[in-house]
Amino acid sequence: MLDQLVALLEQNEMFTPSILNEYWDGTVLTVQLTFLSVVIGFFLAVPLAIIRTSKYVWLSRTIWLFTYVFRGTPLLIQLYLIYYGVTMIDGIQDSPIWFLLEDAFYPCLLAFVLNTAAYSTEIIRGSLVTTDKGEIEAAEAYGMNYWQILRRIILPSAFRRALPAYSNEVIFMLHATSIASVVTLVDITGAGYNVYSRFYAPFEAFIFAGGIYLCLCFAIFAVFQRLEKRAFRHLA
Amino acid sequence: MSSSPTLDIKNLHKSFGDNEVLKGIDLTANKGDVISIIGSSGSGKSTFLRCINLLEMPTAGDISVNGELIEMATDRDGNRNIANKKQVQRIRSRLAMVFQGFNLWSHMTVIENVIEAPIQVLGLSRSDALASAEQYLKKVDLWERKDYYPSQLSGGQKQRVAIARALAVEPEVLLFDEPTSALDPELVGEVLRVMQSLAEEGRTMLVVTHEMAFARDVSTKVIFLHQGQIEEQGDPKELFDNPKSERVKQFLAPKY
Repeated sequence: MLDQLVALLEQNEMFTPSILNEYWDGTVLTVQLTFLSVVIGFFLAVPLAIIRTSKYVWLSRTIWLFTYVFRGTPLLIQLYLIYYGVTMIDGIQDSPIWFLLEDAFYPCLLAFVLNTAAYSTEIIRGSLVTTDKGEIEAAEAYGMNYWQILRRIILPSAFRRALPAYSNEVIFMLHATSIASVVTLVDITGAGYNVYSRFYAPFEAFIFAGGIYLCLCFAIFAVFQRLEKRAFRHLA
Repeated sequence: MSSSPTLDIKNLHKSFGDNEVLKGIDLTANKGDVISIIGSSGSGKSTFLRCINLLEMPTAGDISVNGELIEMATDRDGNRNIANKKQVQRIRSRLAMVFQGFNLWSHMTVIENVIEAPIQVLGLSRSDALASAEQYLKKVDLWERKDYYPSQLSGGQKQRVAIARALAVEPEVLLFDEPTSALDPELVGEVLRVMQSLAEEGRTMLVVTHEMAFARDVSTKVIFLHQGQIEEQGDPKELFDNPKSERVKQFLAPKY
């Protein structure tokens, strides 16, 4: 079985070690982009979602505007604006942050972070406001202060409810990182495109790329399944 | 030992917009009093109880706990607000409340529900909180369910957990807001028995209830509320056997 596979691989001229290595590097980049944007986006989204539920209308409206703009425009447009637009601002090439913008990775990461932060903010906000009023009232009645209620009652309960929707957001971000390939980054999709243009073999090149995304998704599903199992113990 | 009553409420008013729900209620509870508050739906019983720990903000009136007056401020629009959050939080932890809908924290196990306020609010260490939680969960006969989640318990069990949670803060007064109204009839008894044992221990309790047998047999005093006012109050046996007010007579008369 294994011998046959080795023989098959030896006969094919396409999936040579150097090509597989290209896919591997692309996979590393995709995972980096997804992981960093999801993690940073999440830690931005939690405080933003809390502010979004503020009773001060101007605060909540400001956050709403942010989420509206980033959810209401295509991620590709946001990426173009940051990658092509911001780098054109007068004087930015002499500024100390230029070394970050020079590399396509950071403008890309910034666009992804802002985008997923916007979606995650709304997901978390949705579950914050559906926290059982009686549970919050009980916490008040026992003398807990705002921060204690938030930290001990509202957030733990909201995170549990947000989990299914949030796992979708993570999957969505994984796939959304494929547009990094349009600004010169060689992620999985970028690697697939390079292989395609070298061999004119679209099916082989892109099905292989798609297969890698499927495997990554599988890992994300597995992680969230475990998280949900733990988070939903109280609903057993 | 202070001579102040445990709970002293003077001239409590509460309006929702133009609707005046409470029209000046006075109540004094001394240590060990078990006061049942009865009356028909909409008489303001629950609102009254919720005003005591400021879950509803009274429109007017004074509330003192052990002689300490709760500070309230009036803003420019004439609305009253909590003046001193820290004081209110401290006093709230002295007035533990048991709700009609249990309001257990659903993501926490039974034991976590019971140790939460002692740790977060009273500043107890986890081990001290666990030790006293054991005592209170045994009292409500749910120690062996300590690692269950609320969703895995029956209504009666949930309410007993809620009572253990209330006892765990070692409150001056236990406030019960229709604790058996959301329960199936066959589960009411287990909760009432726990409440009766608490009354016998000499705990100070304010109980809004529809359980007339409990009000009559367990409480030291009964207050009948009607349209936001005290219609009649006094010794339970006296009030149940010889009600003076026509309203109370009607209320207590057999319905069928």
